[in-house]
Amino acid sequence: MPAEQAREIVVGTLEYVTDLRFPGMLHGAVTRSAIPHGRIVAIDTTKAAAMPGVRAVLIGADVPCNRLGPADVDGPVLADQRVRQVGEAIALVAAVDEGTARRAAEAVVVTVEPLPVVADPRTALSPEVPKLHEGGNLAGRIGFASGDVEAALAAADVVVERVVGTGAQEHVAIEPPGGVALWEAGQVTIWCGSQNPGLHRRKVARALNVEIDDVRLVAGPVGGAFGARNDDPMPVFLAVLAKAAGAPVHMRMTREEVMAAGPKRHPFHTTVRVGFTEDGDLAASDMTALADTGPYVTSGPNVLKTSAEMSVGPYRMPVARFDGRVVYTNNANAGAFRGYGVPQVAFALETAIDEAAARLGMDPVELRMRNLLRGGDRHGLYGHAVTPGLRAAETLAAAAADEWWVSRREWQRAARGPWRRGTGIAMAVKGVGLGSGRGDAARARLICDINGHVRIWAGPNHTGQAIDVAYRQIAADVLGMDPARITVTVGDSQLVPESGATAASRSMYAGGSAVAAVCERYKAALAEAGGPARLVELGRAEFEATFHLPDVADPGLIPPKRLGDHAPHLVYGCSAQVVRLEVHELTGEIRVAGVVCAVDCGRAINPGAVIGQAEGGVAQGLGFALMEEHRLDGGRPLTTSLENYLIPTARDVPEIRTLLVEGDEPTGPMGAKGMSEVVIVPTGPAVAAAVADAVGVRPARLPITPERLLEGLR
Amino acid sequence: MKVNGVPVTPPDPDARLLDYLRDDLGLIGAKEGCGMGECGSCTVLMDGVPVCSCLVLVCQAEDADVTTVEGLRRTALQEAFVTGQAVQCGFCIAGMVVSASALLAEHPDPTDEQIRAGLEGNLCRCTGYGAIVRAVREAAR
Ligand code: FES
Ligand code: FES
Repeated sequence: MPAEQAREIVVGTLEYVTDLRFPGMLHGAVTRSAIPHGRIVAIDTTKAAAMPGVRAVLIGADVPCNRLGPADVDGPVLADQRVRQVGEAIALVAAVDEGTARRAAEAVVVTVEPLPVVADPRTALSPEVPKLHEGGNLAGRIGFASGDVEAALAAADVVVERVVGTGAQEHVAIEPPGGVALWEAGQVTIWCGSQNPGLHRRKVARALNVEIDDVRLVAGPVGGAFGARNDDPMPVFLAVLAKAAGAPVHMRMTREEVMAAGPKRHPFHTTVRVGFTEDGDLAASDMTALADTGPYVTSGPNVLKTSAEMSVGPYRMPVARFDGRVVYTNNANAGAFRGYGVPQVAFALETAIDEAAARLGMDPVELRMRNLLRGGDRHGLYGHAVTPGLRAAETLAAAAADEWWVSRREWQRAARGPWRRGTGIAMAVKGVGLGSGRGDAARARLICDINGHVRIWAGPNHTGQAIDVAYRQIAADVLGMDPARITVTVGDSQLVPESGATAASRSMYAGGSAVAAVCERYKAALAEAGGPARLVELGRAEFEATFHLPDVADPGLIPPKRLGDHAPHLVYGCSAQVVRLEVHELTGEIRVAGVVCAVDCGRAINPGAVIGQAEGGVAQGLGFALMEEHRLDGGRPLTTSLENYLIPTARDVPEIRTLLVEGDEPTGPMGAKGMSEVVIVPTGPAVAAAVADAVGVRPARLPITPERLLEGLR
Repeated sequence: MKVNGVPVTPPDPDARLLDYLRDDLGLIGAKEGCGMGECGSCTVLMDGVPVCSCLVLVCQAEDADVTTVEGLRRTALQEAFVTGQAVQCGFCIAGMVVSASALLAEHPDPTDEQIRAGLEGNLCRCTGYGAIVRAVREAAR
């Protein structure tokens, strides 16, 4: 079923938040730090404020509560004492047009005394390195061991050790962040893309010292998110500036601003040791990870939680240990990004399993298959019981049955000239929702009219995945109604009850379940009252329901009091992927010829949308594997625009065969569960396996650029 | 200059065509994803040829026939994008549809290779291009 707004989009009439125009509207711009680290000595706004057409110039001291989050390590709205990253916001300007605003932002004179730059996360914790925050450069740590890993590794027949790294990936949502804010009678409405309207409301209320009920966020339509619209400061900038200027303010970031100041996927340095018996049974795994969050904490520790849990993949692991740290640096601030800490650790684990398969002389599918968790098994690190709806073995089997895997040797032999051919396979798992102990919930509201037309307000919000369509389909299914007689509204914080983020693969599962629950209530009341008209007459035509994501019933090895610290999941989705590619042995160039993406998605409520998510995730995974890395030199960005930060084009992405491994998730709405994140995870390791198959070298770093590959071949 | 068949007289010859279309004419279909010719979300037709309107100055288009997504008449193509679920966030889609219409004008029955080459200048971060390529193929039928 197509997205609700698709018809308006194809003719160009849908207004995105950055397309909105209001009478008397001003335009905003941001003054940003040019250096990675320094002490702010003075900020002089007189010249900027005197420019014709400028209506407001703001610095940190003008923001009632100059904090983006509850803690200092969340950073200020506008840097006032120290800058810690190139592109950090220092001042905001509102002017009659965008050009004037940008020129005025340039005219703000910031005097900064440079400080030594913390550029290498590997040395960020050394005592001689400057501290970026009072508490030091450790932003978070998570460790867990399920037993004596050293003893288990010593007893293993084969131990593989891998030291790997993955780069900072930029989201590159095609719409740069922006929007409009408008104050009326002490209340503000902000039209700004957001994956988390509730969180953004709280941030705005806090920064401006107003009541949360005075802040309304209309979170779309937005041109892409992928995690970047979770921690985005844009709604706060808009609200602060519109208040100071006393007029509606429109603002949008340039692509260059997004490249420098927008969040990135956390770069990781990861070491893994995996032990096997000679028969190919997993004996133990031990992983150490170091994540670079840049100057502020944003999602860092939560990302690492997911890394820890997924560090053992979808495998049975007799003994496992994970030790991860997040550190502060003066590099780009990292944040939430599709996959949330899992692509990084899966790359380490999956390539280690491939290495072990080679050493054991076993087929990589067979080796994985004999170790996979079956539904209802216990988790490899935390020992909690996972949902019986996990279909890891079926998913791997589906990918491995594809002709591109089955005929890989014939295909390899048909290689011509300098182009060598290889095929790889990899597997991944990702939890659905925020995890146990986090109080994860979603809500829905329903009103019927006398003719039985149903209106539903539900969250999480739509940021491209047509989640509103799925809500409508679920409602139609529960109510046995024509979906055309149901209207669904998402993304407006005034109308939609707080439902948390469009994140953590939770929208379908949590939002869909809340919709199902509210429809059940309505249905029961209908049956009792005898029809919608009667309900309206009785004044009982309005319903609300809350769905709490279930925690694990048995937390395994996690002390119950610390459940939320580890946030293990009950429900997981998984994906297995086959990548076939060609490597030019002289230039190191890589051409991907095809990808098979098998995905364990529960019941696919809107199969076309699921396939779209799978293809989009794989394409983003190919970018992460082969070309995308936000690079810096001493804290100064080298990748500054789409001219030097390349993402896959229609020519780079091959045919993707999506295989939906369907089967009901017993706890999900209509049997569904989340799948949009896990599909980005196996792509990197599958590409690495295919490269190893083609040229005999197993890459240790993503992205696998031609230069890195040639270096490895030498 | 004509925009979607209507003669117009732009006030500022040095304005970017994209800004003129969006801000003066209210044709918001063309989007700005990069402002430097890299993403294709601002694609319009100039005398039938797709161009990045962020790179064109109004004075360079003085005598041109400009067609934006709002002025296209290939409904089969747009319908194929909708029914083929090729629209996710949709921000790239106006540019895609414009490029695809030029592609189909040149190759009424394009191969997959021709479709991918024709859309190479239009970045999409959501779809992985699969549904878009299928929609163009479908529209060509
Ligand atoms: S905005 Fe013109 S090509 Fe990106
Ligand atoms: S649909 Fe979102 S960028 Fe193409």
